This record gives sequence, C-alpha cells and structure tokens, in this order.
Amino acid sequence: MSAITFENVSRTPRAGVKGPGAAAWLAALDLPVPRAPNTWLPLPGGLIARLGLTEFLVDGSEAAKLAAPLVPGVYPVLRQDTALVLHGARLNELLLETCSVDFRALDLAARPVVLTSMAGVGVTVIPGEEGGMPCCRIWCDGTYGEWFFETLAGVAGELTQPGHPCNQGVTA
Amino acid sequence: MRLPPQSGEWIVRSKPHGFRFEGRGYTGFEGDTIASALWAGGVRVLGHSFKYHRPRGILSAANHDVNALMQAGGTPNVRADATPLQAGMSLTAVNTYGSLERDAGRFLGWFARFLPVGFYYKAFHSKRLFPLWERMFRAMTGLGRVDFSTPRLRTPKRYGFCDVLVVGAGPSGLSAALAAAEQGADVVLVDENARLGGSTHGATELISKVTTHPNIRVFTDTCAAGYYADHWVPLVERDRISKMRARAVVVAAGAYEQPAVFRNNDLPGIMLASAAQRLIRRYAVRPAQRVVVLAANADAYRALADFIDAGIEVAAVIDLREAVPTEQVAVLAARGIPLHAGHAIVEALPAADGKRVAGVKLAPVNTAAPVTEIPCDGILVSVGWAPAAPLLYQAGTKMRYDAGVHQFVPDTLPDGVFACGRVNGVHEPESRLLDGECAGSAAAAHCGFGTMKAISVPAETASPTHPWPIVPHPKGKNFIDFDEDLQLADLENAIQEGFDNIELMKRYSTVGMGPSQGKHSNMNALRVLARATGSTPGEVGTTTARPFFHPVPMSHLAGRGFTPERRTPMHAIHATAGAVWMPAGAWQRPEYYAVAGQSREECIEGEVRAVRHGVGMIDVGTLGKLEIRGPQAAEFLERVYISKYVGLKVGMTRYAVMCDESGVVIDDGVVARLADDHFYFTTTTSGAALIYRELSRWNTLWKLDCGIVNLTGAMAVMNLAGPKAKTVLASLTDADLSFPYLAVREGSVAGVPARLLRVGFVGEWGVEIHVPAEHGAAVWDALMKAGQAHGIRPFGVEAQRLLRLEKGHLIIGQDTDGLTTPGEAALDWAVKMDKPFFVGQRSLKAIAGKPRRQQLVGFMLSADHAGEAPKECHLVIENGDIAGRVTSIAWSPSLSRHIGLAYVQPDIAQAGQKFSIRLSDGSMVTANVVKTPFYDPDNLRQKEAT
Repeated sequence: MSAITFENVSRTPRAGVKGPGAAAWLAALDLPVPRAPNTWLPLPGGLIARLGLTEFLVDGSEAAKLAAPLVPGVYPVLRQDTALVLHGARLNELLLETCSVDFRALDLAARPVVLTSMAGVGVTVIPGEEGGMPCCRIWCDGTYGEWFFETLAGVAGELTQPGHPCNQGVTA
Repeated sequence: MRLPPQSGEWIVRSKPHGFRFEGRGYTGFEGDTIASALWAGGVRVLGHSFKYHRPRGILSAANHDVNALMQAGGTPNVRADATPLQAGMSLTAVNTYGSLERDAGRFLGWFARFLPVGFYYKAFHSKRLFPLWERMFRAMTGLGRVDFSTPRLRTPKRYGFCDVLVVGAGPSGLSAALAAAEQGADVVLVDENARLGGSTHGATELISKVTTHPNIRVFTDTCAAGYYADHWVPLVERDRISKMRARAVVVAAGAYEQPAVFRNNDLPGIMLASAAQRLIRRYAVRPAQRVVVLAANADAYRALADFIDAGIEVAAVIDLREAVPTEQVAVLAARGIPLHAGHAIVEALPAADGKRVAGVKLAPVNTAAPVTEIPCDGILVSVGWAPAAPLLYQAGTKMRYDAGVHQFVPDTLPDGVFACGRVNGVHEPESRLLDGECAGSAAAAHCGFGTMKAISVPAETASPTHPWPIVPHPKGKNFIDFDEDLQLADLENAIQEGFDNIELMKRYSTVGMGPSQGKHSNMNALRVLARATGSTPGEVGTTTARPFFHPVPMSHLAGRGFTPERRTPMHAIHATAGAVWMPAGAWQRPEYYAVAGQSREECIEGEVRAVRHGVGMIDVGTLGKLEIRGPQAAEFLERVYISKYVGLKVGMTRYAVMCDESGVVIDDGVVARLADDHFYFTTTTSGAALIYRELSRWNTLWKLDCGIVNLTGAMAVMNLAGPKAKTVLASLTDADLSFPYLAVREGSVAGVPARLLRVGFVGEWGVEIHVPAEHGAAVWDALMKAGQAHGIRPFGVEAQRLLRLEKGHLIIGQDTDGLTTPGEAALDWAVKMDKPFFVGQRSLKAIAGKPRRQQLVGFMLSADHAGEAPKECHLVIENGDIAGRVTSIAWSPSLSRHIGLAYVQPDIAQAGQKFSIRLSDGSMVTANVVKTPFYDPDNLRQKEAT
C-alpha cells in the first residue's frame, strides 16, 4: 500500500492578476490564456490557471512576466499561497475524506481547475495523473498552510493504518 | 439450543468466542450476534423493559430490540440483536438496579396503575412537586453508563458519489441494483445487515451477480441514516460515515414485521416469525422447542416451513383470518398441525418464574366461545408489516394508505427517488424481484443510462397485513410500545383525555418516542386512534419522520471534524518567545508572552510598560487587508464607509467605519491612499472575510470601474509602538520617518518593500509595517534585534486591549453589538451625512430624529476603590432598572485606576455624572463618567508632539 506523497512547492514563483482587462493584458504578454473559466494551460516550467471570468494565476517562472507595467482594468494579486503537490494511490480517498467535490468525475483532458473547500479551507485544485496514479496541485491561503498541511498529512497517515475502514474488506 | 449446520448460516463454528453476560460465562461463534449467542446458550431474559422492568427477550432480531440494550465495557446501549459477538466481551443489561436477576426495579410493575399515560405531564404540572419528580426521574431514567474517560475517537467521515444509490439489499434491492448497473449506472448498494439478501435467506445466484458486477459497490453493515436535499444520504458504517451524493435513490428498505397485541405479548419466547427465521437461518439457533404460530398472512406459512425444516415442533397455528387460503391450509394438514382459523391469542401464559412464555390462551375473534389453552415455550407472530419508509418521507414522498395491503405506500415520489419491494406495498417474492428491476431500470434511466424497462408487477392477491391484530384484555399488559411499556389502555386513555391527533397522542403518551422510534408501535397506535375516532388509518396519518432514521453513535457524530486554524507568518517566533495562545476567529494569536516567574497579569503589565515607556511590537497580521484600484476606487469607498475618502490626500490615511443597511456599525479599519486610483485598507480581524465578500457583492451590483483584491493572508503586519519605536525603525528603513501621524509611506524595512502606516491605536508613536507574508518573519526578527538595546518586548492581545482602552478606542464586536449605531458608539464625528450616499445612510437619517437609546461612555472607578471590580457585561442599574452594561474594563497601570467603557442611558452619559454597576454577587459599585481618552487626552504622544 503506497503512501501519499506531499511536496511543498510554495517557493515556486507565482503571481496573480484580475480585472476586466486581465485576459487581454496576459495575451499581450505572450501568455496563453485559458478560454474557459476554471481551466488551465501549461506554460514552460509552470501553468496558467483561469480562476474565474477575470482572474488568473500564473505559477512558475513565467510569473515574472506579470511584473510588466499594468494597464487600466488590470489589478495585480499578490500570491503568498501555500502550494502542495499530492501524489499516490490513496489520494482519491484522501480527497473524499476532506472535500465534497467528486474529482474522479472530472475530465482531466479538459484541464479543470476546482475552487472549493478542503478540510474547511478555501483551496484551488488542479487534479491530474502521473505515473498511472492520481495527483493534484493545491493552493491555499498561506496563513492556513501549516494547519492545512498537518491536517491532510494526518488524514493521509490514517488512510494507511490497517484499522482504517478503507483498508478493510468493504468495497467502497 | 444450537441447530445442526444450516445452509448459508452466518456463524463460523470453527471459531468459538467466549464472553460474559451478567457475570456468567457463555460461548458463541464468530458471526453470532450477542443475542443469538445468548439465546443459543439458553438465556431467555436479555434485558428489562424501560418503565416496568419486565423481562424481555428477542422480538425482531433486526436491530430494533431496544429491550436488549447492553453495556459492553465503556460502551453503553449496545444493541444485542445486531451487534456482532466478540471474544472476551463482558456485557450487562442496561436497565436494571442491581443485576438482571435481582433487579430492584422489577417491582415497579406493581405500581403500574399509579403510572398512567401522560405521567410526565401530570407529574410536572405541580410546581411544588417539580423538583421532587425531577430528581426522581433523573435518577430512574437513562439507559447505560457513560464512561467519561472514553478517549476521543476521530471516526472518519468521507464524501461518496454514485449514480444510483439503492437502500436495502433484499430481493427488490438486489434486483434494482443489478438492473441499474446493467444499464450502465454506477451503483452503490447499502444494507444494514452483515450480508446481502434481506429476509430471503437465499438468493445466492442474485447475490453473486450483484457482488461481482463491476458497476456495483456494496456497503454491508451500513445504515442509510437519513435523506437530505439533492439525494444526499449519510451512510453510517461501524467505523465511518460516508456522505453519499447520488443522482437517484432507490428505496428498497423493506418493512418491519409487526407484533400482535395481546396480554403478556412481551414475555420472552414471543417473537416475530421473521426473528425466528433469522435465528434459524443465520445463526442456527433454535428459537424454541414447541411453538404456537400466530398467523394472518402468507409470510407466516412460508416461515412455518422454515420452523418445520429446523425440527421445531409446531403445536398449532392460530390464524386471525376466518378464511385461510387453501394452499396454506394444505401445508398444515400435510403435517398434522392444528389450525385455529378466525382465532386470536387473548393471553400468553407465563412460566412459574414469570420470565418466559409457557402457553397461550386463544379464543375466536368474532364469537364468545370458550377459551382454549395450548402449552408452548414459544409464540411466533406473523400478522403484518409496516413499511420502512422514513427515508421516503424525508425525501418528500407523498404516501397514501392502501387498504388492499393495509399499509402506507408511496403515492407521489420526488424526482429521482424510486421505491420497490415491501416498502412499495409489493410483498410476494417474485413480485419483489420484478418491482426491484423496474425501479432500478427507472433510476438508471433517470441518470441517463438506457431506457426504463416496461415491467408489469402483479398486484398482491391478499393483504400481507391484518388490519386489527389487537386484542383487548381487562387486566392489560397487552403492549403496543415495547420501548415505553405502553399498553392498549394507555393509548385509549390518552385519546379519551383529548389527545386524539396522532402528533398529540405521540407526545402525550410517548408512543414511538423510544429508541426504536416506533418501528413496532406506530402502526398499531395509529390503528387504535383510527378506531377510537372513527377514522381510517389514512385519515389519521403518520407522525413526521426526521433524520436520523436510526440512532447514530456519538463517536460518529463527534468524530473527525475540521476546524481550520490560521497562523501568521510570525507564529513560530511567537511560540519560541513564550506566547500563550488565544483564538481570535480562525486565528491563533498571542494573548501575552509568558515570562518565567511572572503571573499572567505581571506579564501583561510588563508589556504595557514597554509600550508606554520604551518600545513594543505586536503582530497584527490578522487584520483584514484589502486593496482597491481603479478610477472609481475612491467613489467605491465613499459609498461603503460612513466618512469621506474622495478628498483624502495621497499619502494619508483615515479611520473608516462601515455600517450595514440598517445603520448598524459592522466594521472599522484604516483607509490609506497610495495613489489617486489606489487605496489600501484594513478591516477588523473577525470581519475580514465577511467584509471582502460584502464589498465584492457591492462592487458587482454597482459596476464601478475598480477592482478589490483581498491581501489578508498575503501580507504580514506588525505594529511597532512606543517612545523608542521611531529610533528602532530608523535603523532598518530607508523611509523618511518624519511623516506625520495618520500618513502612509512606502519604503523598505530590513531590505523588504513595506507600507508604513502611522497609527495611534495604542496611544504612542506607532507605525504599522505591512510586508509580503513571506518576509514577515525576517522583518519581525530584524526589528526585535534592532530593538534589543531599547528593551523591546513583543506584546500580545491583552496588552493591546488595555493600551487601546486607556485611549478610549473601541473594539467593534466588543464595544458594539448587533444594534449599535455610530452615534451610540460615540462615532458621530465620523458620519458624513452630507455625502450623496453611503450604505446605512438612509437608516441613520430615519433614526436621527429619535431619542437615542444608549450612549457609549468612558468611566472610572474611584481612586480608592477596593474589592472586586465590575466585569465586562455587568449591568448598569439606575433606579432599580437596567440602564446599560459594561463593555470593557481593566486596571490601568498608567492611571492606577479601573477604567472602562459602558453603554448607559443618555441622561446619565455626561462627564461628571455617576452610575451604579451591579456585580455578580448583587453588590453595587459606583462609576464616574469621564471623557475619553483616559490617557494622553490630547493625543500628543502618538502625534509625537510631546
């Protein structure tokens, strides 16, 4: 039974921007702009996520481009998130125990971005798959970060305990 | 009493389990329930009833035998009829005084006539006797013993998802699950039993198809405990709750077999026929040696076959029906079993010890013929069913009474909810399979999988339920509710006393209010009421079915929960510095910093002294931090705050108070103008999320050309304050610190870009330093290091509260409440009514001409006050009436006086007036109204004008 691995990627550069002019401004910076809200696109060394109609998150080295001069209708968003990458065979069970979204029902090919609550903390989640196992990238307010990490790690630890219901004979 | 191996039995004979009950040792097998193991061991009395402490045995063996609740170590109210036996268990009955054998409570039955229906109502009617009854009832009631040393269990909770949820894995449920899965739906099948099959005790092939189907997930030993909106059903497992969200729900929950009502119908040995079948087929336990079967339907004769196969002697069949179908008569004739058609049991005869049944008295139902007696040690009852419909009711199903089957059946089902099997009024085995297939197919089609099959389900040819399985007896003890020991006469008396509505009768008599929630009593009670009032059962109706459908253990309800906790970037530093934490909303904040050898008060006073005479620093990163940009940013702030911001100069800040639309103060903070179109502002700690949400809402409605960004978690903030603060900061910043009070500057602190807001909340020269969160700890460390030479101390929330009180600054939420207007809070000066609009303005205009209800004032106790001081929330008393309340009070080390803020009536709010505060012990303390600030009244220190 493999454990769930946690990687803290909070140090990855990231920046946010919002406002009615944000999409055009990002395009002018030669960044690909996800067409639909709550979707993402890959960038060299990172990604760009559209968090709503007019809000974007750039994660990775391309975030430096957002230091460009602003134009009207574009408002910078300082991102000081805790960012985690979770990976492992039991990840879906961890998500089921902490979040009300059915991640398994999402079409990963559509590159979904989920804004929801996990263990009571507002989070942005990009689900994925790596090496045949589920993975997900999670961002949350940095002030919740320590507690959030401790909580998820605690639940993940329980999932690998022999007495945990999901490790018993019951099919679920 | 153990039978030879039965086909499909649940017990594992190779694994015996030793256990103890009431101090005696027994042996059962793995797969046994506690009750089946005890019954196999010859134990007939499993517990005593709630009120009269009558001996009780097995009734349903279906998780509803509430007279067989047991204490298992620290766990109270273990249901013996459904709880798996474990090796080494030590069990006792819960409702006894002493022991089950020598229960002192057994004499309560003698006083039955002094315990009439509605006893609680009648007892508590007398105010004088109320305390007596209360003490007595508290001593006598309650089941089980709570072990307060029980460790907190973090029982997991999880979410689950499926297309079709099927509740109940009897024939119809299995059939429904298979049909839905065959059409492509993702199916979850739930059953409270340890194994699939329900009451069929077979269906091996169907079970095999279900358990091997890739689209079906099976949850056994799991209770679907309630139905919530949008097909959300909590599935309670032994060690977990799954909150299952389905797209469609099929309720195939079956029916509860119902007892017959006759004198002594509660004696051990009298059980439902389905209970006897369970004992035989699942646990290979002989229910009795020689039984009488009380029948009224085809199920009784099917059960009879099981009894005969198990080698049980059937002394007679007593059938309430005059006309017994020929094929059922033939079953008996072939075996020479006497049939008493059109007869009823009028009384069960107890054995000499009164602890088991020894025979029956029967008589014709419709004629006054002589009573006959038949000796037996078991009475097996199969006279009808009540649908297990709570989930359907909770889902909003309209039910109707079907006189053809004498039960309530679904009339109109909500969208996405389906019913099949006995709960749907379909009882014949083959019909149940068809009905299940029909419901499963329809549910899958509802979710977009395939099309609904056209299946014809034959109508029932005879009612499976007798409409009146009730026999009155002049000596009573003919129980309708086994949980509450309610007899037929109790309900008749309740109706006679005027409680002739089902909901009223329930509350007055407590019928259906016991641990089984009326699963065996509601239908018979309803029939009694219908007959007494000349109504039909359909007209009487049922009581409201509320979640939970079945008791959910506290360990589940109080299991793992998430209470998110926020920590500022300096959290670890505070911990190292000895912070004593206090919660502030979701935040953890230092209340004060502990110093070895000093009390809490001494620590706080030390922190206050540092700020007043040297330098101190507090982490105020918990404040809400918002930014607004755009050409209409000033216009936006003008609308949401009561003061003016259009004219605020760039580089300056202004205190900001926010009201809701009713003119009540809801938040405050500081607005800093960084550019013509760029403001940075703070909110209260507790209000941050709410205010951001509210401002976003207004911005959406008003469509102004501006955007709001929430920086609460992204910025760290520390307030450096005190006469030496400027010197400390100067060593680390490139900013010109000569900027005035209430100004804002951008510069760097310890090499980190920072926003510096000159504030005066604590009444000294002070600056709030706002930096990106990732640099917060480094800047804090640098400032502490730079301040070492000046005796810098970190200070906590308590010191800040005291410091601000000395300045007379209010705290929203502490010095205001849900009704406080700016005028009452002495904030009139901030209200700019000449603005075109701000949120709450219209309400403030409306109340402007009305007399003020209360006024926030500063007060002091006399310098020589000795003894106890008032506390927050103590009342102000004027002429014997409440005239206000204290909102803040503290001992001021700077003034050597008790100072505080209080709301008082306007006529005693002038400086120099006195008022009285009542302490908890009733004594009064005199306070003097004084102007605020108490300390540095001209604000010279914070302005650096001293």
